[in-house]
Amino acid sequence: MNALIIFGLLSVLMLTGMPVSIALGLTVLSFLFTMTTVPVDTVALKLFTGIEKFEIMAIPFFILAGNFLTHGGVAKRMINFASSLVGHWHGGLALAAVVACALFAAISGSSPATVVAIGSIILPAMVKQGYPRQFGAGVVTTAGGLGILIPPSIVMVMYTVATSGMIAIGPDGNEVSTASVGQMFIAGVVPGALLGAMLAMTTWYKAKVNNYPRLPRASWRERFDTFRKAFWGLLLVVVVMGGIYTGAFTPTEAAAMSAVYAFVVAIFVYKDMGLRDVPKVLLSSANMSAMLLYIITNAVLFSFLMTHENIPQAMGEWMVNTGLTWWMFLLLVNLLLLVAGTFMEPSSITLIMAPILFPVAVRLGIDPVHFGIMIVVNMEIGLCTPPVGLNLYVASGITKLGLSELTRSIMPWLITMLVFLAIISYVPDVTLALPRALGMVN
Amino acid sequence: MLRLLDRLEETLVAVFIAAATLIIFAAVVHRYSLGMLADIVSYSRREQIEWLSELSRSAYFGLRSVNLLWAQEACIYLFVWMAKFGAAYGVRTGIHVGVDILLNRLPPGRQRAMVLFGLMAGASFTAIIGTLGADFVYHIRLAGTTSPDLEVEMWLIYLAVPLGSFLMCFRFLQVAWTYLRTGDLPSHDHGHVDGVDEDADAAAIAAGHHLPHDR
Repeated sequence: MNALIIFGLLSVLMLTGMPVSIALGLTVLSFLFTMTTVPVDTVALKLFTGIEKFEIMAIPFFILAGNFLTHGGVAKRMINFASSLVGHWHGGLALAAVVACALFAAISGSSPATVVAIGSIILPAMVKQGYPRQFGAGVVTTAGGLGILIPPSIVMVMYTVATSGMIAIGPDGNEVSTASVGQMFIAGVVPGALLGAMLAMTTWYKAKVNNYPRLPRASWRERFDTFRKAFWGLLLVVVVMGGIYTGAFTPTEAAAMSAVYAFVVAIFVYKDMGLRDVPKVLLSSANMSAMLLYIITNAVLFSFLMTHENIPQAMGEWMVNTGLTWWMFLLLVNLLLLVAGTFMEPSSITLIMAPILFPVAVRLGIDPVHFGIMIVVNMEIGLCTPPVGLNLYVASGITKLGLSELTRSIMPWLITMLVFLAIISYVPDVTLALPRALGMVN
Repeated sequence: MLRLLDRLEETLVAVFIAAATLIIFAAVVHRYSLGMLADIVSYSRREQIEWLSELSRSAYFGLRSVNLLWAQEACIYLFVWMAKFGAAYGVRTGIHVGVDILLNRLPPGRQRAMVLFGLMAGASFTAIIGTLGADFVYHIRLAGTTSPDLEVEMWLIYLAVPLGSFLMCFRFLQVAWTYLRTGDLPSHDHGHVDGVDEDADAAAIAAGHHLPHDR
């Protein structure tokens, strides 16, 4: 009953269009004041302690690192490198767009920025070569979403933040530890590469059938040359992943190191921006991070309310008692998240849904890391589905295609992503094999 | 006066994020150079290189006397401050997004009312939080708690919550007022990327030449 009131209130408030963070906070305040006897001090304390965790601080650092390298110059280097690698195959430029999106997204961490940076350079080039505008738009819109699946990824940090400290009981009655940032990042590598490959396959097949143009084959010298220029940007991913994997840095330290590294590369190596652009980058990073941290603060309040009202536990109990099996549960979760993804943005969904769904998932024997990657994949699809997919929205801006036409043109890739989601959901090994081999998950 | 507040807000958040980054960077570098110097000390002792041993020993102890244990705590507090003031700045730049699926389908009159309702809800929420926070800070101050590593008075750190919330409340009212008068709402462009020069680059790529872009 209380669950219904809480979710009803939250939905009504969110539908008015107020910021998600405010809607969350107001829901908690009004419920606590009218329906319970929780002292106000507890709420105040939660407000202060909500974001007082060192792990959360990885988010502003990663955003800062990404913003230093989210620049047209970096996008060009990635496109050059990608087209020297795959340009001579069928649909050369389109394949290059997929690879460039994956590379750029890994560095910048922002999906919409990837769509714009890669798209606004490569789409006009594709049109000049005679590709239909819709084809290019479809490729870039979907491949731009790779950013949140390829580590370092903010949404993965959000998932670990949302579930950390939760006490979840597995099917055998033992407590299961929650996923760490390091585990999530390592686990994201194989799925990220696989999705990139699948999107590229779809592109290649469509290009072959329609006989779209190829680029001249690049010489190895050209490949090396373009690689050398892309190298400094790509090294950022190596710094983060290597640092976390070898234990040289904690994830937050790795994020801070990558921010300093990105600063050095952007200013002194690539020289895309000068020192006087730095305050602007700092300010826009602080703006974005503060917004996310504000959602986290209010989501912590919300999940406190959930736990206080025993809602996740009750839901878990109920689901187990109805004889729900793990695969039915995953199907339900996928549907729920896909629907949520059509009108909300990834961080909010993850912060609201993960704490509720996580205990149930663990109870049914699903691995926390696997579950997290599955959520991230759902979020990625949500970025590309109307009416609110952010990628779709910015892609419509740069392609001058209407939303409905754009939606039609991304269909082949969207279906590819749904197939990929099914694979990720029902073949946990795709996600877990690498972290297991590295001894990070048992 | 307002312009001054704007500038102060912007400068504060930019300085906080920069300071936090530098502090953590320094702490990591510090940790690793200590380890490296320790290695040099033992190496030069074994090889009996007098001058190197002396030098590295003094460097090691010099560096060790710099205590950076407080770095993590300082980083968290800087980010708490950044988050609270940045959130207020975010209202001004329109970065706090909501679900606008229903909003966009309403007739203009109701849409206007709904937007104002949302802004007012934001203003009242932040006002309540500000008040709760102020009360909390007052009690912390009476209790006189200090932080574990930096030994700063906790109430000073927690002051970010009431200050930030009231500033945010003010920003909501400001945005609402502007919207009432002019019908303009600030909006954040999530897809903004610098340095994209479409036409020239597109021509170069389409022709199959790699861009004449050097490092």
